[in-house]
Amino acid sequence: MAQSAALTGLKVLDLSQRYAHYCGKLFADMGADVILIEKPRSGCALRGEAPFIADKHDPEYSIPFFYFNTSKRGITLDLEQGEGRELFRNLARDCDLVIDDGAPGALDALGLGYAALAEIRPGMVVTSITPFGQAGPYAQYAADDLTLLAMGGFLHMMGYPDAAPTQASGNQAYAMGNLFAAVGSMMAVLGAQTSGEGQHVDISIQECVTMALENAAQFYDLEKRVRTRFAGSQRQAGTGIFECADGSVYIFAGGMAAIRFWGNLVQWMKDEQVPAYETLDGPEWSDMVFLNSERAKDTFAEMFSVVAKRKTKEELYREAQRRRVPLCPVSTVADVVQNRQLAYRGFFTRVPHARAERELVMPGAPFQLSATPSKVARPAPQLGQHNREIYGAIGVSEQKLAALQQAGVV
Amino acid sequence: MRAKLPLAGIRVADFTWIGAGSYTTKLLADFGAEVIKVESSTRMDSLRSTAPFKDGVAGINRSGYFADRNTSKRSIQLNLKHPEGPGIARALIAKSDIVANNFTPGIMEKFGLGYQDVITFKRDIIYISMSMQGGSGPDAKYVGFGLTIAALTGLQYLSGQTDRPPAGTGTNYPDHVPNPCHGAFALLAAIYHKRGTGEGQFIDLAQTEPTIALLGPAVVDYTVNGRVAERCGNDHWWAAPRGAYPCRGTDRWIAISIYTDDEWRALEEVLGPVANEAERNWADHAVRRRHKTELDALIGARTAAWDARGLMTKLQARGVPSGVVQTAQDLIEEDAQLAHRKHWISLEHKEMGKTLYNAPPIRLSRTPAALSRPAPLLGEHTEEVCLDLLGMTRPQFDDLRAAGVFE
Repeated sequence: MAQSAALTGLKVLDLSQRYAHYCGKLFADMGADVILIEKPRSGCALRGEAPFIADKHDPEYSIPFFYFNTSKRGITLDLEQGEGRELFRNLARDCDLVIDDGAPGALDALGLGYAALAEIRPGMVVTSITPFGQAGPYAQYAADDLTLLAMGGFLHMMGYPDAAPTQASGNQAYAMGNLFAAVGSMMAVLGAQTSGEGQHVDISIQECVTMALENAAQFYDLEKRVRTRFAGSQRQAGTGIFECADGSVYIFAGGMAAIRFWGNLVQWMKDEQVPAYETLDGPEWSDMVFLNSERAKDTFAEMFSVVAKRKTKEELYREAQRRRVPLCPVSTVADVVQNRQLAYRGFFTRVPHARAERELVMPGAPFQLSATPSKVARPAPQLGQHNREIYGAIGVSEQKLAALQQAGVV
Repeated sequence: MRAKLPLAGIRVADFTWIGAGSYTTKLLADFGAEVIKVESSTRMDSLRSTAPFKDGVAGINRSGYFADRNTSKRSIQLNLKHPEGPGIARALIAKSDIVANNFTPGIMEKFGLGYQDVITFKRDIIYISMSMQGGSGPDAKYVGFGLTIAALTGLQYLSGQTDRPPAGTGTNYPDHVPNPCHGAFALLAAIYHKRGTGEGQFIDLAQTEPTIALLGPAVVDYTVNGRVAERCGNDHWWAAPRGAYPCRGTDRWIAISIYTDDEWRALEEVLGPVANEAERNWADHAVRRRHKTELDALIGARTAAWDARGLMTKLQARGVPSGVVQTAQDLIEEDAQLAHRKHWISLEHKEMGKTLYNAPPIRLSRTPAALSRPAPLLGEHTEEVCLDLLGMTRPQFDDLRAAGVFE
């Protein structure tokens, strides 16, 4: 049976150039009609981002581009030209949401900012994703993912205490900007659904990054302590990364949240006949002051390493979980792709890549909705792939389209 | 008059606890949903006992970690293990639009509060379960926290220096952004669908999958190119130099990312010419990439004399992507941009007094988010919810309380 999608009928114009494509992907995989608008000839900047399929440096082979633009249709359009802007206004007439990652004020300068678009369509939502937001002292600062992790306070908390702070992989600052943008856009769309009025959604990636600091801001506010990075040591005794026979595992058995599992850990160490395991069995192991001491960390490391070193990460994972001890393997990407639980859930999906003539296995829906499943409905568009059908739908004749192409507008 | 918030009129029966779940429903609450958090002293939300505490003094109503994740909600205390508990929970659900939980699969079912139970009396409910690995499957009942989840997803392995153990993010990162935002987005899409069709549904969010989704390019690089991505420090495949470089003071750093030759020239204008015995042509991008470790040392030697903020200002004046590696203290006390955006909010909490909260990092021009109240005390609203919303009479409420239902 064909199932419907949650956002069927919602129309989105996606002007993302470099880092805002995941926001539109969430909408597109959820069933919205998302049109990616790219510069003629060069396409969006993300097409130049590695890695590439078969390491072929070609705009159609960028893996980040292909992954972050699934389920979208694509057109080319030059907004620097008057005719291009006119076409954009035509497209905007029945559109619900515009997503943009241009510099603050750039869309306004083209006469296509929120105020101008709201005149065309009062219910329009415009979401701007920028490094620091639309206004303010840093609004025009140059940035990339690393500098945004830094400015958001997250980088300081990542890495080893004796070395320079070290980023989390995968452009997490951009990811956070996209995620809060998607939530904010959806909030505004829901608002427009009932009131008929749209609005401007202003996302600062830096500000989004501050949400990842866990309790660091509150630590400073309440206890005047500045949290810093601790990689290579335990967060508190019983919680940290440990080497095993074929890699490493992360155990989270110490600390307030995990306290109810501690007894299981002690039993495990006993069953493994770890020398002096009974040292771990005492009331001090539920005392945070003790758990934060070097003595407690050393004691735990000495005990647990005995078990960890003689087993593989898979063996430790299964055995720990059988005993209800919170432990997971430190998975490589290969481990993730082979993970049996993800396979059971059908998490990975196959998406055909026309140019490379092969199917790409990639993460599918990050949530399962029973009535309206999210899914990859089509591969990312080739540059200008849907020009004819989309411009045709707003009354641009074949002849006119050819002329626009000639003029470099599309 | 203030415009109605987008989620006004939507009620959430909130069984979430600890990190990811609580933050998901908080996002809804800050945008107008009426969120009622169901808690019990018999199975306390462990964040209530997690530092930091007001004045460093522990207490179930004193945790700043808990507070920041539970603004704009009300709290009722309800012991689901008491024979009368589940019935009251069902009464609450019957008056709600959304049910949210992040328990291990089977817990809600044990109390007769699973999705299949709920649709027998509330057919159009939107019900989200955010367990660690999803509602069913071989590993569905496994236990974990944000840090172990980050390990399982590959993020931990991929983050850190090449020649050292994986560093990860140092936090329960999936709890704070990937899972709550994906959960909230799915819920909002489900609301959109329900408004159009009247149909509710079940949302099964495994707390591993959103983080893996963010690592999609690394996954595809493996599945299509066979390459198992490794940690790479602060490297980006094109940029050089790129990293966190030391500045004046203790543990002070500046992040700098140079992608273009123009940016390189601007960097040299500020730091002075970069040269060493090797006499490399650093103006050449390929040379910068090839000898990036050597270059990092040269840059670090030059930045070390600078005040981080002063250097950032100079570099930004020339368009060089750069940023102070700020601490939480910097964000609160020094950052002019967050101040401009009014990110930090002070709310008067009944036991903690005036304390600091993050505003949701989403600025809506017409219907801005509002932290309508500070985090609730444990069970602060039990009475008003039971009497005003659930329609109990005072004697009924008193009898139930005496029987220990509201513990």
